[in-house]
Amino acid sequence: MNAIEIRNLHKNFGEKRAVDGLDMTVPEGAIYGFIGENGSGKSTTEKLICGLIQPSGGEIKLFGKEHTDMEARGRIGVLIEAPGCFPNMTVWNNMKLQAANLGIKNEDEEIRRVLHLVRMDGAANNKFKNCSLGMRQRIGIAFALLGNPKLLILDEPINGLDADGMRIMREILVDLTQNHGCTALISSHILGELEKIATHYGIIRGGKMLKEMTAEELAADCPTYIYLKAAYTDRAFAACRQAFARAEFDEEKGEIRIYDKTSAEEAASRLYNDFGIAVTELGTAKISLEEYYIDLMKEGE
Amino acid sequence: MSANTKNGDFGKRLKTMLKVDFRRMFLSPAVYIMLGVSLALPILILVMTSFMGGADPETGEQSASMFTSVWQAIGSAGGGMKMDITGMCNINLLYFLVAIFVCVFVGEDFRSGYVKNLFAVRSKKLDYVLSKTIVLFTAAVGMFLLFFVGAMIGGGIAGLSFDLAAAGTSVGGIIACMLGKTFVSLVFVAIALTLACVGKQKVWLSVLCSLGAGMLLFMMIPIVAPLNAGILNVVMCIAGGALFAVGLGAVSNLVLNKTSLV
Repeated sequence: MNAIEIRNLHKNFGEKRAVDGLDMTVPEGAIYGFIGENGSGKSTTEKLICGLIQPSGGEIKLFGKEHTDMEARGRIGVLIEAPGCFPNMTVWNNMKLQAANLGIKNEDEEIRRVLHLVRMDGAANNKFKNCSLGMRQRIGIAFALLGNPKLLILDEPINGLDADGMRIMREILVDLTQNHGCTALISSHILGELEKIATHYGIIRGGKMLKEMTAEELAADCPTYIYLKAAYTDRAFAACRQAFARAEFDEEKGEIRIYDKTSAEEAASRLYNDFGIAVTELGTAKISLEEYYIDLMKEGE
Repeated sequence: MSANTKNGDFGKRLKTMLKVDFRRMFLSPAVYIMLGVSLALPILILVMTSFMGGADPETGEQSASMFTSVWQAIGSAGGGMKMDITGMCNINLLYFLVAIFVCVFVGEDFRSGYVKNLFAVRSKKLDYVLSKTIVLFTAAVGMFLLFFVGAMIGGGIAGLSFDLAAAGTSVGGIIACMLGKTFVSLVFVAIALTLACVGKQKVWLSVLCSLGAGMLLFMMIPIVAPLNAGILNVVMCIAGGALFAVGLGAVSNLVLNKTSLV
């Protein structure tokens, strides 16, 4: 079963089409990286899924049921934009409210558990307004984790987190999805972090789903390449064209990229032996999600 | 993984929502401020005005109609609003305080983003409207009771008469008057709640509109709940309160269902 299934979703704000016929499928157990430019409709889609705004048309299903279904909605944990906390209340009291809202029986134990998960045990008695941005973000994640939700919807959850916070976040998400049957929909601009954990991706542009794929499909679309630098880039580039006639090339800021299955060492020796080009820097790398995404955006322009 | 969540029927849903709202109310400083003001207000009014009354020493003219009986702080007998200080500065002022409190309390849910936590897991807006009506009405009852207590204290300090017969009422009339006025507060709770749901983060807007709507109804209160009220007045106030709560509750529910919550 799919955790989220969206068909032909529309949302208009006056004349503006924020979401324009969006289709989306998030399988159960996936970590779904939801990517798009600012204003592409990511947050609007997430708010629509959570029922915080009303769709102009289309269908949203959560675990096979209408998204307005109480049972389906009771299974989600949400962090959208910022945690919804009362600034003058302590973190603990804010969490007690949400625990009561979720109907959690053993509230104190559950709050301690989620605060411990995000390493915020010591912040329970702080007033929310006195918490730093990073602390607030961790608290927001703790809010979303209350009551063991089966679906997490997290909008920019790693914004403002330090390196340790990002690592903790990764560990929590991987543990929840792999060991506890949870599904996560994450929108983020920090693609490097997303790439480390996502199992599925959806790329949105202008309110439309540009591409949906699995991590495996992305890997297949992101080939490994050889990168090298030489003293005379132009000569080296021309030599590469001759040496690897069938391969594709890129050149940026003096770095030549050869998209070929040849090993880096073999490429360097071929350039030196056949063309007398001495390579000063050499290695292999893979197209990152960020590069893939930027290329995809350029294609669409 | 030990937490248990539930998503039961209407009764259970309302119970959890009430738990959230009562907890939220008692954690909020606003409710204690409002209760404090409700207690202090009659004391201040009765004590301060006791220093101001009497005739002008030069002209011998009576400056203003002042409080002579403690019961004037609760209302006036006979129905109709007196256009003097006893008609303006009495328990009826609380309706405006109740309206402000409702707007601030509900507006804070939207301003803090707390509605995201609530409605992401709870699709029935009716639970929210019902629970808020009950919780805020309870706060209003507390405010009216404290005003009554404050009036007794203030009347004692100011040395005002406690004579019921002189004020044109009886113990039963006072009880009926207080019950009637308390149930009329449900009308103001319902109006302010609807306007707060419309105004959402714009608390100032909902406060202004609620005060405006309150002004229109202000003149009616001494008629429906006079100091010498009877059982009919109480029934009328209960019916009016319930009617407004149900009607405007449906409107609030519709507003929340049809508009964006964030």
